[in-house]
Amino acid sequence: MIKINNLSKTFKSGDHEVKAVNQISFEIPDGIFCAIVGKSGSGKSTLLSLLGALDRPSSGSIEVDGKNIEKLSDMRLIKYRRDSIGFVFQNYNLIPNLSATENVMLPMEFKGISVQERRTRAEKLLGQVGISGIKLERRPGKLSGGEQQRVSIARALANNPKFILADEPTGNLDSNTGKVIIELLKKLAKTANTTVIAVTHDDSISKSAEKTFTLKDGKLISK
Amino acid sequence: MTEIFRNMWRRKFRTLLTIFGIVIGIFAFTVMGSMALKLNKMIDGGKKYVTGQITVSPKGSSGYGTATGTLPIDTLNKISQIDGVDQVGALASLLVEEPDLDNASISMSEPPSIYGADNKSKFKNRNWETMTMKSGKMLDDKSADDEIVIGINIATDKKLSVGDTYKIRGRDFKVVGIIEKTMTGPDSYVFMSITPAREMLIESNPFMKSLYASGKLKIEDVNSMAGVTWKDGADSEKVSAAIKDQFGKDVTVMSPVKMGELIDKASATMNAIILGSALLALIVGLFSIVNTMVMSVSERTKEIGIKKAIGASPSSIAFEYTLEAGIIGLVGGAIGMGVGVLVANVINAKMADKGAEIFLIEPNFLIGVLIFSFVVGIIAGVIPAIRASKLNVVDAVREL
Repeated sequence: MIKINNLSKTFKSGDHEVKAVNQISFEIPDGIFCAIVGKSGSGKSTLLSLLGALDRPSSGSIEVDGKNIEKLSDMRLIKYRRDSIGFVFQNYNLIPNLSATENVMLPMEFKGISVQERRTRAEKLLGQVGISGIKLERRPGKLSGGEQQRVSIARALANNPKFILADEPTGNLDSNTGKVIIELLKKLAKTANTTVIAVTHDDSISKSAEKTFTLKDGKLISK
Repeated sequence: MTEIFRNMWRRKFRTLLTIFGIVIGIFAFTVMGSMALKLNKMIDGGKKYVTGQITVSPKGSSGYGTATGTLPIDTLNKISQIDGVDQVGALASLLVEEPDLDNASISMSEPPSIYGADNKSKFKNRNWETMTMKSGKMLDDKSADDEIVIGINIATDKKLSVGDTYKIRGRDFKVVGIIEKTMTGPDSYVFMSITPAREMLIESNPFMKSLYASGKLKIEDVNSMAGVTWKDGADSEKVSAAIKDQFGKDVTVMSPVKMGELIDKASATMNAIILGSALLALIVGLFSIVNTMVMSVSERTKEIGIKKAIGASPSSIAFEYTLEAGIIGLVGGAIGMGVGVLVANVINAKMADKGAEIFLIEPNFLIGVLIFSFVVGIIAGVIPAIRASKLNVVDAVREL
């Protein structure tokens, strides 16, 4: 369970202060596929950064399974991010010099898992997302957009995270491929009991989500 | 590791240029260092010798092997009576061949020289009592006047073995021994009894020759220099001072301590040359790698952000980039060292037949060069690596 309490993030811009996220409160149960929607500038990317422990809130709290993550030290935050969160980016953000398998192995390497174990798990995860055979050793440049996003999802699952944060996961994909990716995320939410939080301005994603949180000007206007 | 090599190869031309810069620096360091090692070895050998005796030469001579005056035997006998003196050994020395100024060349080794000693004397240098023989035997009190022992350079140059005849200044000598390589002066010496050396010295000097012919110069007075040892427990400096006090008008006295200090100064100069070349290699390599790594970090900012987002700690990022810099240094160092060793070996091979190798290749030095290259790379990579590790994830990824 993720509990957000009066969360705010303020940025200074010259003499002005911009409240990118303004007193947001909501809860996300485990194992569901949910969406955070809003137009450009609504604060959803900032909210994603805060949920992903990539940035610290100006005020408020983020409680994950009873732990307040905004109070964690920098080192503990790194460990928390490594062990509890998986990221799926709009531009896939795979490491170009590593093969599909090596990209999925990377988070496990940071956790200190042995090479053989990493490789075995990576190939299993890639199999689950539909990447196998010769494609396992291909570098991102030799994979299609949809294939790269599948690899990105497998990477996000590498360390058995509590939840996956997907930032516009279908933003760079055609509609058919986008649908396939969303179905994959929904299926993984169920089978891996991993909460999937997709941040998007795509209505079709929000319609297929079990819960949708709508942001406008940094505030939550519906949930 | 695989990723590091792949990252280095992403910008092939830039990586190769960086490595080339290090190759040049380390090549210079290897070559200069090997040359200095050879010179240091020679200096060490010389130091061992000069600090094992008090060396007395005629006033106005250059010191070693090129006497322009002589030391009368009377003077040497009086020196042997000074308190603290143990033994006095007379020496007659001259070049094996007259110098050919029309075909002179610079050499890192001593010119072939004759050293004639009194084989019946009990004098022995305190630090260098015996020579290791490659073949045959050293001269002793039973050696004939036409028997010689030669250094390895002379044996190689003149293709001589034990039993061969070697004509020196028109006289035939029989080789009875060849000294093992010392990497110092004796490699180019011909050791013989003092009498034939004195005779050749007289023959080589028209003034001495006329004095000898007229009976005004006795053969036993023809001594280029003498070695003086001190009794156990005596102070070599006090003995040197005593000789200087009594005979300072006629002789030059080189005390072991002062000579040791002079040689240390020369050695310090040599080592400054090595350090200078090392510093040059360091500067060239350092800036080369720093430049490359700063550009790499800048190009890979997003990648660094992704890695941090998926769980890389700042220390693991810093380690990755520092290691990459170290490997660039090591690769450049290995190539530079390899080329340096090759060049040194080729030049040594060409000089070997004269016994005048210029470089001394020592495995420990080469290992040191490799370690140095790696460390230079690491040092150069530290600051860009720390910068990489401190990149803000959100800014780096730029989508969040």
